[in-house]
Amino acid sequence: MQFIILFSLLISTYLMLIAKRTPALIRGFRYQSLCLFLVTFMVALGQSEPDLYIVAFFLFALKVIFIPQLLYRTSKKIKANEDLGLFINPQLSLLWALGFTYLSWKFSLNLISPGSEIKAIMLTIAFFTVLAGIFLMISRMTALAQIVGLLVMENGIFLLASSITGGMPFFVEIAIFFDVFVSVLIMGFFVYRINKFFTHIDVNKLSRLKG
Amino acid sequence: MKIVLILSQLVFFIILSPLLSGLISKIKNNLRMRRGQSILQPYYNLIKLFSKGQVVSQTTSWIFGITPVVVIASALAGSLLAPVFTFPTSMHLAGDFLALIFIFTLGRFFLSLAALDAGSSFGGMGSSREMFISSLVEPALCLTVFSLFLQFGSTDISSFNAVKTVSVSSIVGAIALFMVAIAETSRIPVDNQETHLELTMIHEAMTLEYSGRSLALIEMAAYIKQLIWFFLIAQIIFPMSVLNPSSLSGLFLWGFYYIIRILVIAVVMAVVEVSVAKMRLFRVTDFLGFVFVLGLIATICAILRV
Repeated sequence: MQFIILFSLLISTYLMLIAKRTPALIRGFRYQSLCLFLVTFMVALGQSEPDLYIVAFFLFALKVIFIPQLLYRTSKKIKANEDLGLFINPQLSLLWALGFTYLSWKFSLNLISPGSEIKAIMLTIAFFTVLAGIFLMISRMTALAQIVGLLVMENGIFLLASSITGGMPFFVEIAIFFDVFVSVLIMGFFVYRINKFFTHIDVNKLSRLKG
Repeated sequence: MKIVLILSQLVFFIILSPLLSGLISKIKNNLRMRRGQSILQPYYNLIKLFSKGQVVSQTTSWIFGITPVVVIASALAGSLLAPVFTFPTSMHLAGDFLALIFIFTLGRFFLSLAALDAGSSFGGMGSSREMFISSLVEPALCLTVFSLFLQFGSTDISSFNAVKTVSVSSIVGAIALFMVAIAETSRIPVDNQETHLELTMIHEAMTLEYSGRSLALIEMAAYIKQLIWFFLIAQIIFPMSVLNPSSLSGLFLWGFYYIIRILVIAVVMAVVEVSVAKMRLFRVTDFLGFVFVLGLIATICAILRV
């Protein structure tokens, strides 16, 4: 069961990499967060303390419902539905992603002692999610896509923590959630302002001063 | 007994495959809040086409004439290899899963040749698009099939019978096969069966020159292919053992489950088709590239044995 969820997380990450439009990207992020919630919930079922349930609840409320909704609304408000501004087209992104998956598999085999392949698979998917987030931030031009990339990276780090060590301490977890929450709010507003000043959110064109 | 089973499978495919198409279009129409045509409409169409004469262009060669026969023959040969009644070793020496893929490809090859043969611009366009899609489908399909081989330990179709549990690999593989089936049966994200709009059609453009009995044969082949795909997907994601009649009620229960799983896939297909918009032709590469990655993931899962 855990494998099914983990691999659906992997597939949702691939879905985000072939997305060409902003709503598709946000939908992919929502699926990914849902899978992450299920993973956390499964880990929580295995533990005796109730901390992880609360963390899972926060994760669901924040990353599955609130943040995607906010991003949808921002993208609708600034009418950025059309284009993500791809530096690298979907097929090439897929190839890159396959390379990343292979690299993270090699890397996690080095970290994990041979024999426990289940842990290695978890670690691979977590590392891959982080790498995919970086890749999204690098290869997409619009600011919204870069926010989503950051969130994907955050998801990856969370998965790393919860799958390998059984979760970080409760307060750290909650603090991270509030950080993410506030940063997404600020960045969403920031994107809106950028759009208002420059009439686009293409980060590539922001290098020249205006005024 | 074996011959009876094989023949019954052939008859089963010929008789029941149009029903599946009618069923899917009925579900689609109901989802769109329309009444829609009867489930039996494909049968009426076939009867109408069979009773009509055909018009053949004077510029065509012998390829145009034999193509309907080759297409229907490939579909029927494929139906003999499909895991329905006869999968315990009956066609053991005749071919494995790869043979099934290439038998289908034979039919497609002749169909696109015949579309070029008549010399109409639509036919050429249709066959070029069909080849474009088929070149993308084939690697994805082969990878998915390899994942199944790795899992079952054999390339033989009868080994489908041996698997009783569903693993991650088979789920991912089944999703990939489902998406391949969308492309192969020319359904909505890739092609549209319902329209004859020149910009979108692929399969319809190839069969545009055909009429009467030949068209009926080609449509029949498409129905049979579709039912074969559905049976393959069903056997992967809802594995069931072969018919083992201990009692009459057991037989009915077995038949019931056997049909239900096909219906589930038909409903999923209809829902997908209603809820997704048709892709631009060059977006199909993204779609099928994703299928390829799914196939790769399925293969890796099969190697890791999860």
